[in-house]
This record gives sequence, C-alpha cells and structure tokens, in this order.
Amino acid sequence: MNQQIRTIADLDRVIHEPGRLMIVALLFAVEQADFLYLQHETCMNKGTLSSHLSRLEEAGYVEITKTFRAKIPQTLLRLTESGRQAFEGYRRNLKAAL
Amino acid sequence: MDQVGSILDRPKFYYNIDGLGELGGSVMCLGFALLLWLLMRSPADSVWHQISFLALVGLMFLIHYGTKAVKTRITYPRTGFVEYRKPLHTQAIAAALGALTAVGLAIGFRRHWDISALASLTGLVFAAAYAYQIARAVRWKWVIVGAMAVATFVIAFLPAAVLGALGSESPAHPDRAKLLGTILLSLMVYGTLLLISGNISLWLYLRHTQPPAQEGQ
Repeated sequence: MNQQIRTIADLDRVIHEPGRLMIVALLFAVEQADFLYLQHETCMNKGTLSSHLSRLEEAGYVEITKTFRAKIPQTLLRLTESGRQAFEGYRRNLKAAL
Repeated sequence: MDQVGSILDRPKFYYNIDGLGELGGSVMCLGFALLLWLLMRSPADSVWHQISFLALVGLMFLIHYGTKAVKTRITYPRTGFVEYRKPLHTQAIAAALGALTAVGLAIGFRRHWDISALASLTGLVFAAAYAYQIARAVRWKWVIVGAMAVATFVIAFLPAAVLGALGSESPAHPDRAKLLGTILLSLMVYGTLLLISGNISLWLYLRHTQPPAQEGQ
C-alpha cells in the first residue's frame, strides 16, 4: 500500500493537471498540430490554452513554432522527446498506482 | 486511464471529421471501377491498355493532392491542422495485409475456389476495416457498415450469368468474367456507399463549424 501511495506522489505534476494532460495526450498521438486544433479538441479558451502551453514549454515538454500558412499566422505545437518520455512514464505510474 | 486512451484515439478520427477520408476512398473505388470497365470494354490495342498504369498513378495523385488541397482550404482554417506520425510498423502491417489479400485472391482464382466466397471474404474485410477506422467514432456510420455487409452477401449470391455479363461480353472465360464482374460491382457499391457517407459527413461538418473570421486590414 505504501508503495502505491509513493507511486501516486511520484506522478509528474506538470502533466497531471487535467487541461495539460489533455494537451499532452493529444500531441502524443500526432507529429505536430496547431493551436486551433488543440482549442477545438479541448474546448479551452485561448488564454487558458496559452498558459498551459507556456507551462509545458517551460518544462521542456512542448516545442512551439510560430509560422505562417497562406499569410495567416499559425502556431505549431510538437511534443519533445522528453515530453514523450514524461507522458509514457506518467501513464506507467498511473497504471501502477491504480 | 480509459479516458486517456480515448483522447489518444481522437487525432486518428480527426482525419475523417470532414468526410474527406471517405470521399477519397470513394474516388479510389469508383476510379478503379471506371478503369476496369474501360479495360474490359476496349480492344487490347486501345490507348486505355497502354496508359492504364499512368491512369492509376494519376488517380492516386489526384486523391492525395486533392484531399490535401481541400483540407488546406476548408478543414485547417476551421478546426485546425494536424500532421500525423508515420510509424514504420503500421505501414508494414498495412502492406503485409494488402499483399496477403492479393496472394489469397490469386491462389483462390488459380485453384478455382468459389469466387462468391472469396468476394464475401474480401468485402467483409473491407467492412471490418471501415468499422474499425471510421464507424467506431461516429455512431450513424454503423448503418454504412451494415449496408456494406449486406451488399457483400447480395453480390456473392448473384447469379453467375449476371456477374459474367457485367465482367465481359465474351463467354469464352466464364470464371474470369464472373471474377471481373464481382470486382467491378463490389467497387461500384463500396464507392457509392463511401460517397454518400462522405458527403453527409462533409455537409454536417460545414454546418457545425464556423468559417474562419476574415483578417482585419
């Protein structure tokens, strides 16, 4: 039991927040996606999504690239290698804890 | 954990959110059917026999770049852009399954297996693939899966004379004519079903998503 409790305590808190968990899970399944796609899938407003993405970028889990598509600004988001490893570790730990 | 699993599946279903995946499939099926029909009905020295491979490649290019162009103009500005991962093992599994089906059909035809059974089997594999890839995400598309399965059995139990008449006008090779007739009819039916389903999806998508706001000057 103690081991299980310790596993829960070891969960990555950056990913564990529900909004960020949604973002990381969506990005894990793709090579890259843009801001509009994440906004559409998560139903978050621009401000909330931006703040979650900034937090993930600070942690080194998400790479943000600003670019243009047909003269319209586009923000591309990609999970970094450490982001992928962190998410896999998070899923392992959550399975072990539950 | 199941919720995380369902989130991981969402990008896969996003590819067909606008019905373009199905419309691409329908263009492929109907294009193959048209090409097959032209090859069957035209003389051996006609231009269609000489450019059939080029026409096939052209059709694949049309589907690939056509889908991309429509997605760039309609889908990405409305609900966002996604670039998918292309893991090698997925492509290898798809290629192996395709090769296995082709080999199975070739062996079956050479050994004079029952063509109706082969057609049913191939049709059911097609319906199962459609159910797994597309209908899993959208409940009403199970109607299309059902229609595919029913159509498969109807085609399998059609009289040989009907299929033979579709496959060729010459009665010299009845087995070959029946096989070609079965393939032609199956392609037309699956293509039409995908066309209907894809168009409904596209209509619903356009209805429920907002067009992109015009940029201010």
